[in-house]
Amino acid sequence: MIATAWICLLSPLAAAVLITLGGTRITRRQAGYLATLSVLVSFVAALITFFRLLDESTEERSHVSTLWTWLSAGDFQVGLSILVDPLSVFMMLVVSGVGFLIVAYSIGYMDRSDEERRYFAYMALFVFSMLLLVQSGDLLILLGGWGLVGLCSYLLIGYDQERPVAIAAAKKAFIMNAVGDATMALALFLLIQRLGTLEYGAVFAGIDGAGSDLVLTLIALGLLGGAVAKSAQIPLHTWLPDAMEGPTPVSALIHAATMVTAGVYMIVRLNPIFAAAPNVLDLAAGIGAITLLVAGLVALVQTDIKRVIAYSTMSQIGYMFLGAGLTTYPNAMFHLMTHAFFKALLFLAAGIVIHALVGEQDMRKMGGLGRLLPKTWVAMLVGALALAAIPPFSGFFSKDPLLASALDAGAYGALLWVVGLVGTFLTALYAFRMIFIVFGGEPSPFVREHLHRPGHTMPALWMAWTVGALAVLATFGGWIQFSPFWTPITHFLEPVAEPGIEATGVEDLITSVLAAGLAALGIGVAWWIYSARRAEVPRWAFGQQLLEHKFYFDELYDAVFYRPAVWFANAAMRFVEGPLISGSIREVSEGARLIGARLSDAQTGLLRTYALALGGGAALLTLVFLAARL
Amino acid sequence: MMGPDVSWYVILSAILFTTGALGVLLRRNPLIVLLSLEIMLNSANLALIGFARHLGDSAGQVFALAVMAVAASEVVVGLGLVVALNRSRVPLDVDRLSTLRG
Repeated sequence: MIATAWICLLSPLAAAVLITLGGTRITRRQAGYLATLSVLVSFVAALITFFRLLDESTEERSHVSTLWTWLSAGDFQVGLSILVDPLSVFMMLVVSGVGFLIVAYSIGYMDRSDEERRYFAYMALFVFSMLLLVQSGDLLILLGGWGLVGLCSYLLIGYDQERPVAIAAAKKAFIMNAVGDATMALALFLLIQRLGTLEYGAVFAGIDGAGSDLVLTLIALGLLGGAVAKSAQIPLHTWLPDAMEGPTPVSALIHAATMVTAGVYMIVRLNPIFAAAPNVLDLAAGIGAITLLVAGLVALVQTDIKRVIAYSTMSQIGYMFLGAGLTTYPNAMFHLMTHAFFKALLFLAAGIVIHALVGEQDMRKMGGLGRLLPKTWVAMLVGALALAAIPPFSGFFSKDPLLASALDAGAYGALLWVVGLVGTFLTALYAFRMIFIVFGGEPSPFVREHLHRPGHTMPALWMAWTVGALAVLATFGGWIQFSPFWTPITHFLEPVAEPGIEATGVEDLITSVLAAGLAALGIGVAWWIYSARRAEVPRWAFGQQLLEHKFYFDELYDAVFYRPAVWFANAAMRFVEGPLISGSIREVSEGARLIGARLSDAQTGLLRTYALALGGGAALLTLVFLAARL
Repeated sequence: MMGPDVSWYVILSAILFTTGALGVLLRRNPLIVLLSLEIMLNSANLALIGFARHLGDSAGQVFALAVMAVAASEVVVGLGLVVALNRSRVPLDVDRLSTLRG
């Protein structure tokens, strides 16, 4: 079982190395096949690991395997170790499963683009990094995987190296993530200082004795900072919409299905640490609630099809944070899984639309695609229904129990429950606004002119079957668990992440009815405004401004961080660099030149002067020595 | 055969040396400069021989012979330079040979 887990981890790394070293000896298409195959191997290995784990009794389902001691500093040692337990296997299945479908889709999507090999090498490297993140048995290895996925995200957002926008977006993502990485590293330093180890088991066992409440809160806050940055939650969220400059499969894999959910995984994985600092958990839930609301509102006015989906990702991860923060861990993980299915589906279907319109992403130019691309329309509709949590699509089974659990968490939980319900209305509204604008009505002039219908070629088929598979998963993937009647996932994850709250059947029922009703209402309003056009889009100048500027977060960071930094740099340039540093260097060089000029006067070129100097010097020395002797 | 006292030799040597040194420093013709150099060298020789006799040690005389050999070869190089200068139509004036001026 340990062997299959290692195969699962290392197979994509092998593919990345092979594609990189193979260079032009591997054709572009072979590179795609190789990357896809390696992730498929990972998925099969994860499946085998999963079934072997199921054979064991519940208490024994936790295995650590250490390859070698990776870092040793005095008493502090870190082994290159992986942990196989229900939570990591769950994530392995999601990452490698969805990853396999998306990498396979890329074979079609990236066909004939420049530097396909580089793309597939990065993708394989990303899958490896993500698996390292979820399989690590040690907080330091977790941080390593954390940094590596950030690197791959940076490389893939900036994949299109010739577009300055893409490069700027890549840098933004990297820097925002670096903030989170830094707070996380600080938390790890505190843990090392207090406990002398970063191994999960030892940390969880010793966390209660690690220090005062302040220390525990600081540790949890640092870790939460990392989760917030990686999962694009407020206030470190501004990089995610910009990250849509990367290729669409990258958005699907990294910025929807896997990497951005790493923050949720981390909170669930480290739940004993967070349990020691309950205030931080409440903060996480609050951040999630605010994010889901803000992202849902901003998504209402976005015009770029990928950005709408990006904001919906933020919003859905907000739900997961809400759930994880209120300690209903299995529900958060379950929503993570269904979200991976339907969000990947939405992105990949949007990718087909973008492909068909030769790269156009502006929804205002689209319209009437439902008739022209019927299968894509169905796929997108399935994704949107799952996103809006309409039964019987997968989102319904994961989001509603998550919200219902909030009712068990006191007044604060009830408040978040209300926010979550408002969020369901917004979700349905923006999702179906997108559906109606893009697919509804008559084909727009732009569409008539530019539509490039995908034929039955090889690349188009790769894109079609993967989207089909994801549509099936997004429809039926939620049926695995239907709380409170049938909860295998909760039982599976319980040994690692015991939920602190649980909804009663009545609460589940009330939430489901209300959430489904609000979602249906959202769809209805979207239909009323954007399809039937019975009402104008409400215009309220202040609100519109606020939403179109995304609540002024970018402007705020610009004013608080960027401008003062530039101002300070300019001032330092003018008052320090100019007069002091380059001034002193200039003075020193001038002085040296001046002394040289004076000294060169002595070099007359006249033999007699030299002879006189020699003779005079000798005579002087003689006199000195004589005088000294007397 | 006592002859004059050693101080006379040293005084003569000093006068010759000063003459030579002044010649090197003041004269402008390289030929004369070389000549003055020879006078300086030979004044040193005179002093060496004078002291050698005074101390009854012949090593000083051998030393003087060695100085003469060195002086001869030096004159060969120096005169060769003067001839070369003359051949290339460079004025025979050490003050005008100041290309090494800093």
